[in-house]
Amino acid sequence: MAETTFRTLITAFTDFLTVAIHTILWERSIYPKTSFLSARKYNFPVKQNRHPKVCEWINDAVTAVESELLKGRVHSVGVVIFTKDSKPLERFVFDVSRFPDVPVDDLDTLLQSGDADEPQSILPVVEMEEQFRATLSKLTASRTSLGPAPEGCTFTVAIELKPDALAPVSHPQPWIPAQVADDENDGATARHPTAKTTPLRAIKAGEMKFEAWIEEAGSDAADG
Amino acid sequence: MARDYSEYLAINVLNEQQVVSYRTLSRALKVHVNLAKQMLYDFHRKQNAKKPSSVHATYLITGTRVAQSTSKTNGIHSQDGEDTVMRSSPPIPGSSPAKQTGDSGDNDDIPIRTVLLVREEHLEKAKATFKHISGIHVYSLQPGSLSDIQVLSDCNRRIVSLYAAEDPLVAWKQYGTIQDPNVKRRTQGQRPPPPVAPPLAKSAVSTKPTATAGKPVALERQASRASDASISSAKATPEPNDTANAKKSAASKPPATKRQSSDIFKSFAKGGSKAKKETPDTSAAPSPALVPVADQPMGGMSDDDGDDAVEDAEVEVRAGTGKLRKDRQAELEAMMDAEDDPMDDTAESGIDSQTEPVTKAQAEATEEPAETMVVENGRRRGRRRVMKKKTVKDEEGYLVTKEEAVWESFSEDEPAPKKAKMASAPAVAKGGAAAKKASKPGQGNIMSFFGKK
Repeated sequence: MAETTFRTLITAFTDFLTVAIHTILWERSIYPKTSFLSARKYNFPVKQNRHPKVCEWINDAVTAVESELLKGRVHSVGVVIFTKDSKPLERFVFDVSRFPDVPVDDLDTLLQSGDADEPQSILPVVEMEEQFRATLSKLTASRTSLGPAPEGCTFTVAIELKPDALAPVSHPQPWIPAQVADDENDGATARHPTAKTTPLRAIKAGEMKFEAWIEEAGSDAADG
Repeated sequence: MARDYSEYLAINVLNEQQVVSYRTLSRALKVHVNLAKQMLYDFHRKQNAKKPSSVHATYLITGTRVAQSTSKTNGIHSQDGEDTVMRSSPPIPGSSPAKQTGDSGDNDDIPIRTVLLVREEHLEKAKATFKHISGIHVYSLQPGSLSDIQVLSDCNRRIVSLYAAEDPLVAWKQYGTIQDPNVKRRTQGQRPPPPVAPPLAKSAVSTKPTATAGKPVALERQASRASDASISSAKATPEPNDTANAKKSAASKPPATKRQSSDIFKSFAKGGSKAKKETPDTSAAPSPALVPVADQPMGGMSDDDGDDAVEDAEVEVRAGTGKLRKDRQAELEAMMDAEDDPMDDTAESGIDSQTEPVTKAQAEATEEPAETMVVENGRRRGRRRVMKKKTVKDEEGYLVTKEEAVWESFSEDEPAPKKAKMASAPAVAKGGAAAKKASKPGQGNIMSFFGKK
């Protein structure tokens, strides 16, 4: 278990993120359900979109998130659902601020837990998969609490940077700086007043620690 | 221990928002599945009376349906159709198109026996498509309507992982799983046909022609084979019968013996597994290499896996088993008339074989143990240690027992260890620890075999 590097940790997370995005697309009916394929991940049945462009977009987005994660700049990753009028409806947030802080040079160094007495594994795969399964299962069950999404919704992936992180400006630029309507707090997660926050799960498996919740926008609350 | 099922369901479905199938409920509360189905129905009704749509159900309908038109019921594309067909089973409605290739489509109504999983919102529609419904029950409860019916498969995975420790042969009555009465648990090591137990040590040695004389492996193999035979015979007494028996057992593992062994094992099924489990890796001493080799040929016959190493232990075991074997044999006779003789033989040969390899392995040394065994026939406790059987449970639930040189002391439970040994024999073969099983395995197994009886 001590053979994990920071990179493998991030990769495990991004794999999960990809599956989560596909699941969110399925649950919120962003794309017609017939365009989804049944697959299995972490020994759990999941839905995966079949359209090549969609898959490509998701992979690109996740890759961009990954590169930012590797630099350790990301505070949280969000999958935002917009209505037809480009107003955010809800946001699925994954708070990754608790990932270990690893300098760029040590991306491929083997990680070892600081607790010498109790060698804990950095990335206990079995537990991690178990928790991923639980999260995905909760994600699918979230449909009940959120209510159906209106027609014609779209989605995007957003990241919130840590306060001291530099914005990812490079060429070609994968990220577009988002306009923050409510600029009360630095790095505030709420861009619009949230009507409801539904916790999904807090994953804790070795060093893989993150939390997931769903925020619903107050002004454009979906039915139910 | 039927806890309050409403409490359980309330916690799991409402609070934790999990999907609970009738199977999960039955395993968790240790009740029969039919009772669990009723519990689900009752809870669903009560909750929805309190707060409508708080709990959703999926139903399983069994019955005959008329073959529907092809376009709609092509299994793959019926994802969004009214009925959701479980992927795991072949899409029964979908097979109708194949049948109907000759027809124009709607002319002939071919009744198709269908097992269908439907969500509650589609229930009425689904029921309407059935010509005759033979059964309908609640399959699962979940807090919200399932968008992906495949999620139900996760329930079964959870059951398997949580309750893998339960022996299905025991638990089926409680849960109500369908059980074939003829099924028998396969034991890993087949005992060699019970040959007449040749004189221990000497005869065994001579009769084990198969094993390359010089090689302890061979010896062990034969020994194990013989021991298996002996064990299976159940007539423990190491009657130093004919070498012939040993030969028989050693040289040829007639399928008959195996069959007998199987039958015997069948009765020992549970015990056998347990025995296997009990026997931790026995023969530590014997070279593991030998064990795998020895195991291969022994395969079916005796599980005695590589007990080569510990000759003394082996011998002792044999001695012990001999005694037990006698007792066991008596019991076995009662059980299996037909197998009495072979068993005796096996027992004999087993003993012989055991002694044989031992002898071969170490000339004098083996002899002595053999003798000791004979002498100690009446001894209840075979202190032939070091033969440990390590029982590993397969995915398939087969107990694979590997015998290692470590023998354990026999006592009344000899048969168990023996059986374990036998089980381990095949297991060893599987695991490649064939060498070990040589003599010891056979002996131990056979004895344990009888011991059970």
